[in-house]
Formats: sequence, C-alpha cells, structure tokens
Amino acid sequence: MAERIGVYVCKCGPNIGDKIDVDVIVNDVNSIKNVATAKSHNLLCSEDGIKFLKSEIEKEKLSRVVIAACTPKMYEQKFMKACEEAGLNPYLMQMTNIREQCAWVTPDKTAATEKARSFVIAAINRVLLQEPIEKKEIDIQPDVLVVGGGVAGMEATLTLAQKGRKVYLVDKSPCIGGLGARFEEVYQTMECAPCMLAPEMQDILQKENIETLTHSEIEDVVGSYGNFSVKIRKKARYVSEEACIGCGACFEPCPVEISNEFDEGLSKRKAIYLPFAGALPNVPVIDKDNCKKLKGEECNACEQACPFGAINFGDEDKIIEKQVGAIILATGSMLFDPKSIPTLGYGKFDNVLTGLQLERLNASNGPTSGKILLKNGKEPKSIAFIYCVGRKEKGYCSGVCCMYSVKLAHLLRDKLPDVKIYNFYTDLCLPKKEHQRLYNEAVDKGAKFIRSDGTENVTRVGKNLVVQYKTDSTKKKVSVDMVVLASAVEPDESTEKIAKLLDIPLDEQGFFSEEHVLMKPFGTPLEGVFIAGSCQGPKDIADAVAQGGAAAGRILSKLIPGEKLELEPKVAEIDEDLCSGCSTCITLCPYSATHRDEEKKIAVVDDALCRGCGTCVAACPTGAARAKHFTKEQIFAEIKGVAK
Amino acid sequence: MKDDKLTIVSFLCNWCSYEGADKAGNARLNYPANVRVVRVMCSGRVDPEFVIQAFKEGASGVLILGCHPGDCHYKKGNYKTLRRIYLLKRTLEGFGIEPERVRLDWVAAGEGERFAKVANEMVKTIEKLGPLELSEV
Amino acid sequence: MAKPKVAFYWCASCGGCEEAVVDLAEDILKVVEAVDIVFWPVAMDFKKKDVEAMKDGEIAVSFINGAVRTEEQEEMVKLLRRKSGLVIAFGSCAHLGGIPGLANFWNRDTIFERVYKEVPSIANPKGVLPKTKTKVGDMELTLPEFWDTVRTLDQVIDVDYYIPGCAPPPDIIMNAVSAILEGKLPEKGSVLAPDKSLCDTCPRSEKKPEKISMKEIKRPYEIIPDSEKCFLEEGIICLGPATRSGCGEKCINANMPCRGCFGPTKEVIDHGAKGLSAIASILGIEDEEKLSEEDVQKLVDKIVDPAGLFYMYSLPSSLLRRKKI
Repeated sequence: MAERIGVYVCKCGPNIGDKIDVDVIVNDVNSIKNVATAKSHNLLCSEDGIKFLKSEIEKEKLSRVVIAACTPKMYEQKFMKACEEAGLNPYLMQMTNIREQCAWVTPDKTAATEKARSFVIAAINRVLLQEPIEKKEIDIQPDVLVVGGGVAGMEATLTLAQKGRKVYLVDKSPCIGGLGARFEEVYQTMECAPCMLAPEMQDILQKENIETLTHSEIEDVVGSYGNFSVKIRKKARYVSEEACIGCGACFEPCPVEISNEFDEGLSKRKAIYLPFAGALPNVPVIDKDNCKKLKGEECNACEQACPFGAINFGDEDKIIEKQVGAIILATGSMLFDPKSIPTLGYGKFDNVLTGLQLERLNASNGPTSGKILLKNGKEPKSIAFIYCVGRKEKGYCSGVCCMYSVKLAHLLRDKLPDVKIYNFYTDLCLPKKEHQRLYNEAVDKGAKFIRSDGTENVTRVGKNLVVQYKTDSTKKKVSVDMVVLASAVEPDESTEKIAKLLDIPLDEQGFFSEEHVLMKPFGTPLEGVFIAGSCQGPKDIADAVAQGGAAAGRILSKLIPGEKLELEPKVAEIDEDLCSGCSTCITLCPYSATHRDEEKKIAVVDDALCRGCGTCVAACPTGAARAKHFTKEQIFAEIKGVAK
Repeated sequence: MKDDKLTIVSFLCNWCSYEGADKAGNARLNYPANVRVVRVMCSGRVDPEFVIQAFKEGASGVLILGCHPGDCHYKKGNYKTLRRIYLLKRTLEGFGIEPERVRLDWVAAGEGERFAKVANEMVKTIEKLGPLELSEV
Repeated sequence: MAKPKVAFYWCASCGGCEEAVVDLAEDILKVVEAVDIVFWPVAMDFKKKDVEAMKDGEIAVSFINGAVRTEEQEEMVKLLRRKSGLVIAFGSCAHLGGIPGLANFWNRDTIFERVYKEVPSIANPKGVLPKTKTKVGDMELTLPEFWDTVRTLDQVIDVDYYIPGCAPPPDIIMNAVSAILEGKLPEKGSVLAPDKSLCDTCPRSEKKPEKISMKEIKRPYEIIPDSEKCFLEEGIICLGPATRSGCGEKCINANMPCRGCFGPTKEVIDHGAKGLSAIASILGIEDEEKLSEEDVQKLVDKIVDPAGLFYMYSLPSSLLRRKKI
C-alpha cells in the first residue's frame, strides 16, 4: 500500500509564524510523492493541537507523520504519545526543529523559510524509511550486592534485608564491621563501638536472606541496572566456616609471628588469626603468604591443634557468580600515611602515632588491651595532637579528624587523669550540633588547644619528643612523650580498582563521584550502582549510616520485585549473517553490551545493556551492526534533504 | 546569495550539542541559515560515510559536534569520533578535500554561545574556501 | 543442444585475471567442455568484427576483467554488453577499480606528465605526449582517448554479477561458473563470494582476544609479525575486518595483512570509509581518556597515505570515486 505521510508545520503562535513563511513550506511539500496532506497549525502542542493531530492521523489514514515545530526535547514524547493513541507506531513520526534551530536564529525570513523547508524535506525523506519499533520490557533481579561491611554497608544491608530482599554482602577483609569495629568509643555519644555494632553484625550473620562473603572481592561485573552479573572471588580461608566454632585453639601453636595490620602494626599476629578479638564472623583465616605449610615447609601445628578438623590446607579460591539488580558500594576509606611528611617524624621515632593507632591502643580488644602505653611499656605523661595532617597534601578538609582527636583527648584525660594534652590546630572543624559541647568539655577537662600555623615539626631530644610550633608569629616548642597525628581520610585502596571494574568515575580526590553532588549524593553516574559511606568522601558514622539507608531506600523504591524495566528501544542490532566476529564493536562498547557468541563466532548485542549510542554501528566494518531508528539509510535520506 | 551553494551539514549529538544549538535559539543568537542539522544520538554514531555522503549531496562543509571529552552521555563515544574524524580528514586530503571542510568540536548542553560561535566560524572558513566542487565523473 | 557461448575480455588490468583462468588447471577442461569460447583476445584469435557479427544476446556470458579507463575499453564493454546475456565483472579491477583505479588520485594530464616526461627511465627530449590523432605522412594514426577517471565496469555498463579478487581464486571462479551453468544464480547484482568479512575465516581469529586496542601503528616491513597473532594486535593495519572473505587467506598465510582486494561486504557502500572507521575506533582506546587530542593525532599520523591505504582496491567504486583536481 502506498505510504501516506501527514506533514504538520506548527506556527508556535508568532514564534515560528512570524519568522518563517509556513504557507510556502506547506504548499511546497504538498506535492511531494507520498505526502497525503500538509497543513499548518497555530499551536500543535496545545490540547487542541494534539486533538487535531490525532484526528488527522485517523481521518487521513496516515502511515507516517512529520512534525515541524520546536525542539524535540520539548514535546517529542507528547507527539509520540498522540501518534500511539491514534494507532500509529510512534517511531513512524519524525520531528524537525524549525524553532530553536531555525526561526530563532535566522533573522532573514526568506533564508529561514528556505532552511525550514530543507529540514521538512529531510524529515519527509527520513520518515519514509523509519520502521515501527515495539517497546521491550525485561524482568529485573531484585537482589542486591553490597560491597563493604562497614557501618554504611551494614545499614544498607539490613534495610534491604528487612524488606525481604536477598543481599550479598562482600567484604575484602576476613570480618565485617569496617573501621568502626576497631574503635573503642565513638563520638559523640562516647559509646563503645563494638558493643554498638555487635547486634547489627550478629543480625547480618544470622539473617537468612543475607549472604555474607568475607575475605572476598568482586572481580567482574557485567550487565546493567536490573540485571547485573557479578563474579566474586572468595579467597581461600583454609579454615572451614562450617566446622570452625571459633575456639581459637589454633592460634597459640602457630609458629609464625608477623605484624598485625588490624592493630596498625602495633601488635603481632599468627599466620592463622582473627583480625581482633571479637571479630565476626568468628572464624580465623590463614594468611597464605606467611603460613609455613602453605609456603611448602613442614608444619601442621594448627591442624593438630584444631579439635574440629576445621583446617583445610587444600582450600582454594572460589569464583562465585551472583545475579543482582543493584549494587551498593560502601568500600570505605583509610588514613593518609604521614610518612610522606618527614618533618612529623612518623615511622622515624617511636611513639609518634596516627589517630587510628591510638584508637587501637585505646581499644580493649587492641594490642595493649586498652592501656595507653608508650613503646617502653610506661604510661605517657604528655601527649601532643597535631591536626590537619595531610590536609594540604590531599587538598581537602576531611571533616572528622578534629572530632576524633577531641574525642581521643577526652578518653585520654579519663584514662590518664594526669596526662598533659596539647592540641595543635590551625582550623577547628566542629560542624555538628554536639561537637561544640564535646570540644568545650575537652577544654574543661584540661586539654590545651593551641592555634598554630600548621608548620609543626617533631624531633627527638634524648628520650623525649619535641614538637616545635609557631603561634602568634612566635616559635615555641614543647617536649612530650607521645605525638598523635590527626591524619586525613583518603579513599580505600580498592576504590580505583572497583571504579575501573564498573567503569564509574572517581572525583579529583579519588573518591567515587556522585550522580549529583547535592541531589543524588548516594548515586553514581552508572544507573543501579549506589555509593554509601566514606567511599564517597570522609564522613563520620552517623553520616555513613544515613547514606547507607538512603541508598537502600532508593533501591527499595525503584527496583521492585515483579515490576519490569522498560528498555531503550533505539538499540543496536547485529545481523548474524553479516557479522564475521571481528570484535571491533566489542572493543569499543562502553557498556559491555556486545559480546562474542563463541559458538556462532559472531558478536551479539544485549538489548538490556545497549543504550543506543550507535558508536559500534559507525565502527562496524561490515555493516552488520545497525542502529534502530538511526540507520545509515535514514541518515543518508536526511542528509539528502539538508545538504542542498 | 552565497548561502545557496555553501551548505554546511552539522551532525549534532542528542545530549550536548543539539541542546547547545537549542540554547543558541533560546538566546536568539544568529548564525547563517546554511548551517543545517542532522541529529544523532552520539557523535560516536557519525560514520565517515555520512561525512562523505554529505559532500556528495552538495555540502561544502561538515560539522561534527559532540559532548566535551570526558562528558559524553555514553561515556566514551566522542573519543572514537575524535580518532575517526581526524583519520577521515587526513584521508580526505588525499581526495583533494581541504581538512578544514570537516570540523569536529565539542559543545556542551549549556553552551549556546559556543554553538553560535562555532557555527559562525565554520561558515567563515567555508566561505573562504568556497564551494566544494567535486569533479564530475 | 549447442554449448553456451562465452567471452572473455580485459580492460585496464595486469593480466593476472587471465592467469587466474589458466590457474583453474585441469578444471579448465571441464569449462571448455561445457562452453564454447567465442572471444578471448589474450588467448585466441577472434576480432572485434566477429563479435559485432553476432546477434544481440547471443553470448551467454561475458567475463570482463579490468577497469575502464580508455575510449576503446568503453566501446568494447558496451559491445559485449549488447551481445551478452550475462556480464560478469571479473576480478577487483572490473568490480571495484582495483590497483589501476588508484590513478584516480591523478588525472590524464598529471599522469601523462609523469609517465612521458618525468620518470627517470623516459627519454623524450621533445616532450611528446600521446594524442588521439597523429599525422604520419598522409596517414592519420588514431589512439583511443585516455579518460581522466578510471571507472568500474558497472559505472559504464549494466553488470549482472561480480567475481571478486586480485586475482579471483580458482574455487571462487569454479563456483561461479557452476552456478551459471546450473542456473543457480543469486539475486542480480550479487558478488559471487561469501557475505562475511575475512575475520570469519581468518586462521588468526581463533586466538584473537575479545577486545583489541591498537596501541601503535606499524608497517609490515617494520616488524616480523607473529604468524599467529591478529595483525591489529601487533599494530599492523589489516583490512580483513572490512573485506569480503573467500580469498583463501593467501596474504594472511604469507604473513601479510589484508589489503582489501575482495572489496566490501554487501551492506557497505564505501569500503575505505568503513575500514578507516573501524581502525580509527580502536586506535589507542585502552587509555583513551588519558590521550590528549595531540596524542591521538600523533598516533593517527603514523598511518602513511591513508587514502591510498584504505582505498587501495576500491577508489573508483568509493563514494567520491576520485580526487578533486
């Protein structure tokens, strides 16, 4: 049957009507082959205009429609809907922009009319070659992957699980709890963090719909929102999680002793170990780089000691594949290494510690069981805190270091009532409602706060550490037993790798970039991937928890079991009779939407992943790849219209 | 009028440059009417065949505009365009077509002024070169 | 029943296509047995007038190789078209323009200037150039006109089928001949070779990684390529991804990249544009965000004579057909 095209030129009141001779265009195109009717309308987007359009499609039995009006960015959807309601596939409509890109930029009416005519002719050429496209929907996977079991990840996990979602919680360390679990007391409530977190951790380990994978890392992610396929490497633990009851009988006989990274190197641990007492899950792990047996030497001390036969030297890494609809990254942060500022003496002198090291000394599950001791085993009589360590180097204020130092000052005054505490700061960051009070209390308790210019340096004179500082333009110094550096917070070392894996951007500071800094601070530019906690930027526990909850809430409101996800209809497709499997499209797809079909030796497009950019189509050397709604023929037809 | 001969076909990416062109309209910034537009979803869709076809159909210049590097709506489409268009320009030199007749540039969604500037500059460049008269074969 | 009549003709070509017919070896006997060769200037003594004497359509099939660049060639192919049921463009030059088609980067004047005056091997002190008419005594000698532009066969006459290749390999020729004899021809205008590109049959595809980023550009003489690796992986431009298969991968097996003699696949109009698009799209894209525009240009600039490279066999059949002079 012959095609019947309806061409409708909108005057947009005077916006187009005064600038372009609409009647000339209507007259001219009326005689073009296949144009059944060409008409103008004063305001096509109005209620009356839409009614007119629908009645025209029906009355004129139109098989295709061209609308020349404003930018398609305004009402293309509206016109498509009108076509659909009138029984015409919306992809058989072509809009052309004669307002923003013609009437409004061309003062000369003749020239504007000529340009608009070329646009309309191009649209007529093109619409003839357009093909109907049907909407496609796919099922979604409501399960969620949470990466990182710190406070943010735990909050997200529990929020999702509470609503019955299956959650896979992956943590690279042998236990969950993140940094928070390594603090004794936390501001601003001065609550014992392990006590505060234990019930949450227990909950996570016990809930049936939460699968916790510790000592595990994500290795590959393909897919997109609604349907991610994730490969997780569960590293060999060499201790059976089923058989082990966590009695700890294996630690003592292990002949290997190495520095314990979970105590910031302040204690020793065995090759078979738990990061700290009370770590959950309460199943030790064998450090394969240091275990004698696993290095090929003679030893099976732990195996002998284990009453439950839980040791398994033959354990291997396992790759576990999970299908999830969304991913929350809560991979946390770590502290800036002050070694890079040599004048502070860190790593050079004993008793120069980072804030986190002091946290471990203060922790009852730490190396000194909570006693604040110098390297020589004596209690310090004076301690200096140096603030803003790494702020200049990192280029941002971490926002939490002042408060953790104030908190530590508090705790120290309680534990060692006679200790002298000097706090050297340049700016104090006390942003939250409780912070000023905590600071005031620390001052009341006798902690000295000295505003300096940030040029502190630490030397050793005899047995003492000497902090030189400058205040009110005068150089001064104070001799102390211990120096604590309030180090800046920086992204966890895994951040970059994960960003690469998911192909999501990092910000200038190396944290994950937000979808929108203000409006979507828990989203990333990749739909279905969320961020929570200090992997997005330094933050305290309360903020991390809030963000974890927000990310989970967003998932619960968007990714709903049973609901379908509408797919982008304008995707690429590959003709399998033409594709030779050259891999060009696979190489360049930013969404990994094309992959090799090993059996057919060709590339195939996953409709759920393709966003329809058409980059692969332009690159496809055989013409096997086609872009729906943007085919070569359609674009050539349009070029023919505009080029003359 | 010169406009009759000197058509410039511009391929604009849907997300940045097409919006940039709309912004130029919103701000009523003028540029010559011989700058014509073909919308593509991404500058990465621009096949060298499109550019050549535009010349065959009578264009004297071709503009390809996309999102700024790093800002591509599809993450990395414009990086491919950068490579292709540069190689295409070098290839077209072999065909006696001045590389200045093809211009790849970046215009963000908010950059109406930039769009108008690029369009005006391109028209000037092409006016200087004159119409592209392909040899009759 | 009389055997079908067959003609062979050559235009602007190197003679390789004629060799290809002879290369059928014993199979040529089968062909000769099945058909009656009525015109084949390279091998048999027939004259133009013999063809002119035939009825229109009397020749069942004419196999014409070579591109069309002179008046004489044009006249002959038009004559053959009239006298033949089917015309087959035989080999790259008739199909795409081929190597002689690279002359379209010049025109008659520049070619004559070069060939008859500039080349070191020429001795032409008076600078005499060929003319279509020359007086010698009372006689007038004529030469056919040399056109500015080399054309593919289908730009001059209607072509029914194409046998690709420089030169077409024996199996492709035999398959085409069998299809013609058995009347099992595909849609008119088809290229009688597989539709997929060379990667489909390339022996190096098996080990090819799923993603290939060309970090650098190397010319074949600069390295000895690993005989098992995809050329692109090693930085050597290979037009295999953009070129129709069926050649038997002779170049690949000789450790040389594909230069495109089989032409594009059926969906592609401009072989060179598609080839360059594919290659450019994978140039240094491993760290694409980190490469500046200058870095990219430097990388691309390593490609020497891109027009000649990407259009080595297909210049006259490309969208632009020739250089603007």
